Amino acid sequence: MTSTACFIIVSRNDIPIYEAEVGSAAKREDAAQLHQFVLHAALDIVQDLAWTTSAMFLKAIDRFNDLVVSVYVTAGHTRFMLLHDSRNEDGIKSFFQEVHELYIKILLNPLYLPGSRITSSHFDTKVRALARKYL
Amino acid sequence: MADPASTPLGKMLLEEITPVVMVLCTPYVEESCLKNGLSLIQLLSPFCDFTNIDVPVRTASDQPYRLRKFKLRLFYSSDIRQPNLEVAKERLKKVITHVGEKNFLESSDPSQVNNLLSRPESEMLPSWFQFFNKELVRTLSFSDHEAFDHPVACLLVVSSKDDEPVNRFVDLFNTNKLPSLLNDSAMDPKIMKHYLLLHDNQDGPFNKATKLLADMRNAFGQNDCQIICFNSSQDGKIHHQDNPWAPFKSDALPTENLGCFLNLDDLNEIKDFMQELSSKHIIPYMEQKIRVLNQQVSATRKGFRNQIKNLWWRKGKEDTIDTPNGPVYTFNSIESQIRILGDYAFMLGDYELALSNYRLISTDYKLDKAWKRYAGVQEMMGLTYFLLDQSRKDAEYCMENAFNTYLKLGSAGRRNATRCGLWWAEMLKTRDQLKEAATVYFRICGEDTLHSAVMLEQASFCYLLSKPPMLHKYGFHLVLSGDHYKKCDQIKHAIRTYRSAIPVYKGTTWSLIKDHVHFHIGQWYALLGMYDVAVTHMLEVLASTHQSKTTQELFLRDFLQIVQKTGKTFEVLKLQLPVINISSLKVIFEDQRTNASAAAASVKESLWHSLEEDMIPSSTARSNWLELQSKIIPRKYKESNICVAGEALKVDIEFKNPLQIRISVSSVSLMCELSANPEEDANSSNNEVQNNEDRTSTSSGDINSCLILSEVGFSLEGGETTVVQLTVTPRIEGILKIVGVKWKLSSAVVGLCNFEFNPVNKRVVRGRRKQHSPSSDLKFLVIKSLPRLEGFIHSLPEKTYAGDLRPLVLELSNQSKFPVKNLKMKISNPRFLYAGNQKELNADFPACLKKKMNVEKSGSHANVNKTLQNLFHFPEDISVQEETSLSWPLWFHAAVPGSIPLYITIYYEMEGVSSIMKYRTLRMHYNLQVLPSLDVSFQLSTRPSRSQEFLLRMDVVNKTTSECFQVHQLSSVGQQWEISLLQPVDSILPSQSLFAGQSLSCFFMLKDRRRSSTSEDSIPSLSHIQSDVRLGPQDNSEAFFDVSSSPLADFHDCERSSQGMSSQGCEYKVDFVFIAQLPKGNRDSSSNAPLVFSHHACDCSPSSMSPISWLVDGPRTIQHNFSAPLCEVNLKMTITNSSDAIASVHINTFDSPSSNNQPIDDATTSQPPEHQSGWSEIPIVNDTKIITTEALTTRVPKSLSLESVPQYIWSGTSSTKLVLQPRSTAEIPLQICVFTPGIYDLSNYVLNWILTPVNDGENQGEANKSSGVCQGYPYYLSVLESNFKD
Repeated sequence: MTSTACFIIVSRNDIPIYEAEVGSAAKREDAAQLHQFVLHAALDIVQDLAWTTSAMFLKAIDRFNDLVVSVYVTAGHTRFMLLHDSRNEDGIKSFFQEVHELYIKILLNPLYLPGSRITSSHFDTKVRALARKYL
Repeated sequence: MADPASTPLGKMLLEEITPVVMVLCTPYVEESCLKNGLSLIQLLSPFCDFTNIDVPVRTASDQPYRLRKFKLRLFYSSDIRQPNLEVAKERLKKVITHVGEKNFLESSDPSQVNNLLSRPESEMLPSWFQFFNKELVRTLSFSDHEAFDHPVACLLVVSSKDDEPVNRFVDLFNTNKLPSLLNDSAMDPKIMKHYLLLHDNQDGPFNKATKLLADMRNAFGQNDCQIICFNSSQDGKIHHQDNPWAPFKSDALPTENLGCFLNLDDLNEIKDFMQELSSKHIIPYMEQKIRVLNQQVSATRKGFRNQIKNLWWRKGKEDTIDTPNGPVYTFNSIESQIRILGDYAFMLGDYELALSNYRLISTDYKLDKAWKRYAGVQEMMGLTYFLLDQSRKDAEYCMENAFNTYLKLGSAGRRNATRCGLWWAEMLKTRDQLKEAATVYFRICGEDTLHSAVMLEQASFCYLLSKPPMLHKYGFHLVLSGDHYKKCDQIKHAIRTYRSAIPVYKGTTWSLIKDHVHFHIGQWYALLGMYDVAVTHMLEVLASTHQSKTTQELFLRDFLQIVQKTGKTFEVLKLQLPVINISSLKVIFEDQRTNASAAAASVKESLWHSLEEDMIPSSTARSNWLELQSKIIPRKYKESNICVAGEALKVDIEFKNPLQIRISVSSVSLMCELSANPEEDANSSNNEVQNNEDRTSTSSGDINSCLILSEVGFSLEGGETTVVQLTVTPRIEGILKIVGVKWKLSSAVVGLCNFEFNPVNKRVVRGRRKQHSPSSDLKFLVIKSLPRLEGFIHSLPEKTYAGDLRPLVLELSNQSKFPVKNLKMKISNPRFLYAGNQKELNADFPACLKKKMNVEKSGSHANVNKTLQNLFHFPEDISVQEETSLSWPLWFHAAVPGSIPLYITIYYEMEGVSSIMKYRTLRMHYNLQVLPSLDVSFQLSTRPSRSQEFLLRMDVVNKTTSECFQVHQLSSVGQQWEISLLQPVDSILPSQSLFAGQSLSCFFMLKDRRRSSTSEDSIPSLSHIQSDVRLGPQDNSEAFFDVSSSPLADFHDCERSSQGMSSQGCEYKVDFVFIAQLPKGNRDSSSNAPLVFSHHACDCSPSSMSPISWLVDGPRTIQHNFSAPLCEVNLKMTITNSSDAIASVHINTFDSPSSNNQPIDDATTSQPPEHQSGWSEIPIVNDTKIITTEALTTRVPKSLSLESVPQYIWSGTSSTKLVLQPRSTAEIPLQICVFTPGIYDLSNYVLNWILTPVNDGENQGEANKSSGVCQGYPYYLSVLESNFKD
């Protein structure tokens, strides 16, 4: 488990629809906003890279000091962004793939409007469990 | 790509990497120069830059080329040393602060990202970066590992005023004063010297100077000495149009007239001198030096042999020297010479030569682990590659290598790394690799926070300028830069960067980012004392719901502090705290429809509408659709809502606290505008007095104004939502407009909310608003004050038990000066409430319900129709006079348990008050909670033996939890029935009171009096008929309650109609009224009288009663001598048709009781053997017990099938058919034959009957029962053997 990890799902309109601090490190107020800043800034890089490859997992695309941003882009251009400080690419890939499955389940919910915030607590617990498992 | 030299980096390099001339001068020289406000170097500097010198140069190769651009850098010898770090830093800081001040004042925020990008690039990029970078690079000049800062030549300047100038020249070049570079043998002390005699024309004649020049030439050589005469202008009034010195004297005041003593000749002389110095002396000197060095290098290092030797030699040296900075190279070491060769070649523009030498030396340095020198050479290689415009990859590789190598050195190489990074970034920028350039800028950031801040800001601009623009990165780096600026107390810079980032984050849903930016800008503005701006930024973060509680507290606290510091109350149009739910806005106003309570206002309009439908005249006035209502009411009144002066308008608004912390809100009030009604003014003369002033009062609760506004204060816990009712009372006529609401947050900030801002659907309760725009819903026409009735029902219980019957008093009070009349009232639920007579007002309850001895039956049902329509007209002569009140009795009966809404609407008219409103209605709404009390059920069954008598079983269960009821009486409604107790209640219920949970069953005999009267042929007087039964104490002389008089009878009719019964029922249906009492004092009621509870049961009828009844009559016991073969018994069956239809009855007798279907067959086949005894098991059936026909059908086969021995047979007809006229009786003879003694149950016969209706007017229930089958009921006959023999 990484000490710092921040997972955000960003809709195609650059709106964060799900946010979770999944790191084991103690939560700090200013860290959360730094994470948002770093992930937000990485959107530019995602924009560039997403169209250069057919793979969904873009690997580590950006870094800020010792924080690395790994991104997974779904077919609908929803971006799963993970900010982490560990180098465990396989784990991150598996994490993204499983979250993708969860996300598709959310999308299949007829009451969920695509692009709106994911409020399902079930999703949240699942994501956190996956984070514990893979990261 | 463009010429590398013309790119920004190229220009910078051509400026910065140029030969350095060391200047040595005497104080007199400086003094003369300072007359012009310039130092010597400043004086000379403008003329050191040659853009088109056009000098042929021949370096190592034989081919000469022409040098176009050339520049000399002049430095005092004292400045030729590594600059003091602290001083340099201080200077840079000053530069930044200065820029910060300047930019802060003139900065204008682009609000949109698009605007940001649409500006030209030059405008976007702040120019001071260039300047700052140059300054930063200069802090690193004169390092010992690079040669291009080493002076190429030395310019010795002596004034003609000096004594013995020649000696002065010698003194000047004194090694003690020379810079350390020359002294510590980092460079060759034997440098080219040039001697200049400066003659100030103000000091004396020129000829003295020429003499001195001659001496100098003798002493130092012909070519190396020159003279300049200047300060030729005597008055010092010369003003230079384009001041050449301005770029070199940055701190000059604009008033200062630089070069005031220099005329055009002087300038030309200086210019010529400098040109000659460079082209005739410095360049040739450098050329020569290059050639010499190149020869040396070729001799020692070029060629295969030398290389091998060098390699071997260095390998051997590796073990010996290992100092952290690598070995020390003196100027005459071959490594230094190669470096000098490279640098000179670079400065003279022979980049090929420079590159080859740099390459050569870099491997050496690398092998020697002289990392700093290695990095320096790599850096130069990169730049050379760049200027050669070859192999970008190599250039970048070299720069990166240099940068990394510098970084590896730690803090020592840090600043070199910065310079290298700057060049590198510039190089990348030139090649449009802005993204990479930004990364480089980011990497430059080091321990110096201030420099990092500038670098980060430059990086952000790289992202902005990259194609496509990377705005996210731009914003992020701006914020980072701002943070760094803040750390260095450069608040203005910090604010500037953050503000530049705002357009990027505008409207973002990345909430933490937005909060961070706005909160910090707000804080910093507050630090600068600009509280107004601070507040606007703090407002943005106020309603941040996603933040933690502590952060929210911090935000709110800071915000309030800032507001406090501003020293005034802010009016904020879009204050987010608390959140107002505009869609919850609910306006309650009263035009002709008035409400008695808030509860009435919340009832749906349609409900009232249906209730008032036939009561108000408006619908009747509009007889057809052509006659528009606009004829009756002027059009403009229709369009806006009407309200009455002096009557309050209520507005319900929902406030929500989005935060987790408590907030206090005070002084919540409406903002309203009351303006004169323009049309009204034009017509009427009454208002003329007030016409002159424009009555538009928007302000708060000023009592003297024409509006009265209520003020509310409350505090909201975290996440709490509250609905606040605000009122506004217009006091004069006009047009009232509700503009919005305002409130005070923490008694510091005033928040305003305009209702019109959001054209979302507003829920205006009253009014037809389909054709209205939402804004006109909040516009009201205020009309003259009108009478308004207040209505109240006294002592209407909120909670009661079912069956509760009591009188109530409705009080209508009229506060106005005008009488109202023509009152009408309608009650939604007459089962519960209806209006009584005025004379009942003071009647004694419950005594008034008791039977009077002189019964007057007339008019008891007078108001049946009235109650059915629910509309009650007050008598014509009743009116509510001014300032009086009217009381009217109401009867209340809690008919059924449950939550019962009661709607009462009272219509009244007023005369001559207003042309707009002729009538008003008063609406009252009450909610009753009716609890179940007694559960009374009746079961009626026919007595098999007596067709006109019924057995009534009454079950009463007390369903309350605590109350104890006293049973009082049971009455049957109408004159038809006579009721009597079968056994006294005392025996069942000695206490006469029914405790909680207790149940009571009573049996009564019910007689159809009409039937009995026909049979008895006597008409008893009505008074004797017992239609009431006392259940209470028998000795009690208390009178019965009269169920046939006003309140009880009326409620009973309501019950009937509500239970869906017609008032003309079948004659066998009985209605009962059961009355119980709750003894005094048991309930917390104000009156001492016992509470009366009446329970009504309608249309009780015997369960599954058939219209045909019969009676078998005959002997019960017969003695027979069975010596005779058989015994015949004659019986008589009396059949009665109680229906109104003709009945055809078919009586089938059968001998076997087993089956109804095949009676005769069975009887014959299962003929019993003779010997079997006739005594068979007889079911114990009591004659008095009620046995329904269904019970019998099940029992018969079960009990007798085992035996299945009919000991008798029906003789005579086995099937009889007869037709019975309506309400007639017929008798049929029956006969059986008995063979053995025994007890016989003569029940095995069946009556089939078919009803043929007389006419079709029969009700549906009868028609359904038009045919049926009845099983015979038991009739027991005992046949005994007679003992005596005849």
